[in-house]
Amino acid sequence: MSGKTGLVFFPAFDWAISPTHPEREERLLYTRDTIFEEGVLDLPNIEELAPRLATFHDIARVHFCVPRVQSQVTEAHLIAAGAAMLLGDLIIEGSLRNGFALVRPPGHHAMRVVHGNRGFCNINNEAVLVEYLRRRHGVKRIAIVDSDVHHGDGTQEIFYHDPDVLFISFHQDGRTIYPGTGFTHELGGPLAYARTLNVPLPPGTTDETFLYVVDNLILPVLQDFAPEFIINSAGQDNHYTDPLGSMRFTAQGYAEFTRRLNPHLAVLEGGYAIESALPYVNLAILLALSGHDYSYVREPDYWPGKFKESPERLDQVKRMVDNLLGIWQNRDKADIEKLFGTGKFYQRKKNIYYDTDYIEEEQFEKVRMCPYCPGYIIIESRANRGYGSPNRVFAISVPFQACSCCQAEAADAYEKAKKEGRFDYVYLQDKTTDTYMSYERNKNQEWCSEGPRPEV
Amino acid sequence: MFIGIDVGGTFTDAVLLDRGMVKATAKVVTRQDLLSSLLEALDSILQGVSPDLIERVVFSTTVITNLIAEKKYDPVGLIIIPGPGLSHAHYRFATQTHIINGAIDYRGREIIPLDLKQVEQAVEELEAAGYNKVAVVGKFSSRNNKHEKEIEKYIKLLHPQWQVELGHTVAGQLNFPRRVVSTMLTCATREKYEFFVRSVFQALEQRGLQAEIYILRADGGTMRLKNSTKAPIETIFSGPAASTLGVQALLPPGETAVVVDIGGTTSDLALLLSGQPLLATRGVCIYNQLTHVRALAVKSVPVGGDTTLSRQQNRIVLLPGRQGPPFCLDGPAPTPTDALRVLGLFHKGDYDKARQAMHMLGAELNLSCTETAVRVVDLVVDTIVQEINEMFKSWEQEPSYRVWEVLQKKKVRPTTVVGVGGGAAGLITQIAARMNCQPVLPPYASVANAIGAAVARPTLRVSLRADTQQGVYTIQEEGFQGKIEDGNFNEEKAIALARTWLQRRAENAGLTSSLGEVEIIRREVFNVVRNWVTCGKIFDIGVQTQRGILHYIGGGGR
Ligand SMILES: [Zn+2]
Ligand SMILES: [Zn+2]
Ligand SMILES: [Zn+2]
Repeated sequence: MSGKTGLVFFPAFDWAISPTHPEREERLLYTRDTIFEEGVLDLPNIEELAPRLATFHDIARVHFCVPRVQSQVTEAHLIAAGAAMLLGDLIIEGSLRNGFALVRPPGHHAMRVVHGNRGFCNINNEAVLVEYLRRRHGVKRIAIVDSDVHHGDGTQEIFYHDPDVLFISFHQDGRTIYPGTGFTHELGGPLAYARTLNVPLPPGTTDETFLYVVDNLILPVLQDFAPEFIINSAGQDNHYTDPLGSMRFTAQGYAEFTRRLNPHLAVLEGGYAIESALPYVNLAILLALSGHDYSYVREPDYWPGKFKESPERLDQVKRMVDNLLGIWQNRDKADIEKLFGTGKFYQRKKNIYYDTDYIEEEQFEKVRMCPYCPGYIIIESRANRGYGSPNRVFAISVPFQACSCCQAEAADAYEKAKKEGRFDYVYLQDKTTDTYMSYERNKNQEWCSEGPRPEV
Repeated sequence: MFIGIDVGGTFTDAVLLDRGMVKATAKVVTRQDLLSSLLEALDSILQGVSPDLIERVVFSTTVITNLIAEKKYDPVGLIIIPGPGLSHAHYRFATQTHIINGAIDYRGREIIPLDLKQVEQAVEELEAAGYNKVAVVGKFSSRNNKHEKEIEKYIKLLHPQWQVELGHTVAGQLNFPRRVVSTMLTCATREKYEFFVRSVFQALEQRGLQAEIYILRADGGTMRLKNSTKAPIETIFSGPAASTLGVQALLPPGETAVVVDIGGTTSDLALLLSGQPLLATRGVCIYNQLTHVRALAVKSVPVGGDTTLSRQQNRIVLLPGRQGPPFCLDGPAPTPTDALRVLGLFHKGDYDKARQAMHMLGAELNLSCTETAVRVVDLVVDTIVQEINEMFKSWEQEPSYRVWEVLQKKKVRPTTVVGVGGGAAGLITQIAARMNCQPVLPPYASVANAIGAAVARPTLRVSLRADTQQGVYTIQEEGFQGKIEDGNFNEEKAIALARTWLQRRAENAGLTSSLGEVEIIRREVFNVVRNWVTCGKIFDIGVQTQRGILHYIGGGGR
């Protein structure tokens, strides 16, 4: 077992959403300057690695990209996701102790169906990694802890019905910030109840409260869940200088969190205070991951004791933590039928707004309530781009733990939907066989992606 | 005509070149008294040649490297300004070190003012301890050298005779710890280096040479000897660069090749990619401390002709290090050279003793002498081939920070394996065969170092960083900080400014004639955006004169 921390640093200095968009070339420039000048890449237990590209197949394992993977991802996306996968490989194989994918573009707002860019994200890097680790390495239980100021709604949605993926997100209260979700009552679907936990924090929350949540909720829950692999969706916009968030976390707070969480892999998400936060927070996280003293990392305008937590805020959070911990501890005693109803399918309607691309999507989601497996998922999606007729999509996802009945039913539903003619695009994602089908009605053409060979 | 002289620890090699033709070569023993070795080598190659015909003399040397290795230099006190970041516990250098409060950030802004009280105390303590050489290095000093200069001013006021080296003048690239080491070594070696330079000038003067005199840098470029005292450490690793350039000159242009220099106890590997030597991404590592010295990528493998062979259970193994000469040359233990002797791939030494050496190794394994020799050669070849493959892999593994760089990275494998050095003849064919390559044993391989020095191009580089939001720019190589007065400063102007500085540097170095084309090696432009409004730009521009060699050998010149 190597004691090394792997770093893939991919600042994508030639990729931006648009020249003045927060997600632009400059974003990791000062981080680069800082990690270079500090000489941390010369430390013997930090190893910098060149990124590699994820394949379209790796993306299709997670996402239904409309119309095709090629139309939603750029090479930068493949590199960012590929960086996480590369580090995942090396950590599982034991040649690294842990890793940091310090990459752009981010991904935690990307949901299962991708019509365009949401919250600066097209492809969910963590989700691509999770499905890859299960397929390639047979990893079963994985936890994702999202420390971005924004609710990790994409990651939540992708694993909402997956009992083997624990998703915990803490973030600024959704009533005050994009994407407006992530409340305590969002707890996962009927077959994965309490495998999703949300901790909405009041604006202005400081390190003290943040670490209280870590110690009193996140760490005990992780201990119970006993994941084989822990991923930190490392958003840094909880920092007190972030222009998009209103929180008061510091570089020291982030480092302390990283040390306590001790994740296998941290994957960079948001964080748009590119000068006042990112260089310091990224350095602190890297030092914490690699077991170095981070106490000398300090923002220029910070002094210890700068932020005082209000007792009311701390109390409020303590009550929420108690409540969530109770839900977690009683998760197996919960009356699922009472909470979710009965029937062959659990179903819900969703509206999803793509803030970057101005797309409005309506979704109808059905989950097969299978007694033997987490059940397959059917999504009917309709997306309006504000012009022309909306795209109609029918997509079925068969989880990798699926039973053979579910597999067969899903295959039937796919064939039926192809014939039916109600949908422009029909997809079948069969994770049990790692085969991904898509059908385009206008062209009367079907594509199949199987096996891990690159399609690029 | 050109002269190349490689002053190594054991031998001093010299060649005389005329338009790509080798006119004379010499190999003499390097003595303690450098001057006499130099004169002997010069006399040998200059027989019957008038000194006025010599246009240029280039040196490469490991003399300073050896000084550092043997720690034969005066102690250097250290004053550093690391500010926040990595724990100061990392800055335990093997000398009296003073840490001063103060900090500059990544954009060159002062975020903590310098604590002059602490400087005062540091200087007092250094004086009390008898130091008179001081290296002063601040974090991000290449973005703003204010603090370093303030400290220098203070020291010079009190101790005008002290030697003070400032970090930003030694290296401009980001990496504070490496800059500290580089600055210390510069400070430490300056006097000895100046002595070496004086010896060289004396030797040439005594032989009436009026030529331009250059010295090779570790990155394969040359600089004027008289300017080189500004940056002595850039020259200290020029030995490996010399042999790589020598091979480049001995091969047809544009080839992708591995250079294998097989010596007594180690073999040095270098890569030529499409005809150009590969530069190391990391600075040179000097005795376990990384520096900022740019160098060609050279990997040393602890296997050579004199490596000791031994048997462990039923395997033959290589023991690192040298116990003495090969057994066939009256050494104490079997070596790869003995195996080559048995196989008829090496022709000196006693054949019977070589067989005896193989017998010592192989008898217990029921192997004949020839079988043992084959096994030994296989072992050596395997070891070297594995290292070559690793070298290509790590080159491919080098990080890229742009999408296009990731995409264009291809798998490259050599077509040619070139052998130089004493043990090359016997092994290179087999190494090449194992790698599916052509073996090449160039003529004059034994003086490839000196040839490399003779043909190396003078190169100059300028790195400009301009920040229009702050209205400032720096020239890393000069430690210069200036103001941008032009309100319409743009990418073109940034490049033009960098070129102007390159021109100025060339003039100062007396190098305007042989510079060749100027290439842009880095061109980064970042919009500085605040609140969705572009409020400035950061330009990072690197320009450099053509790298490489002036002549190919045997091709009749160019
Ligand atoms: Zn979150
Ligand atoms: Zn965010
Ligand atoms: Zn089932």
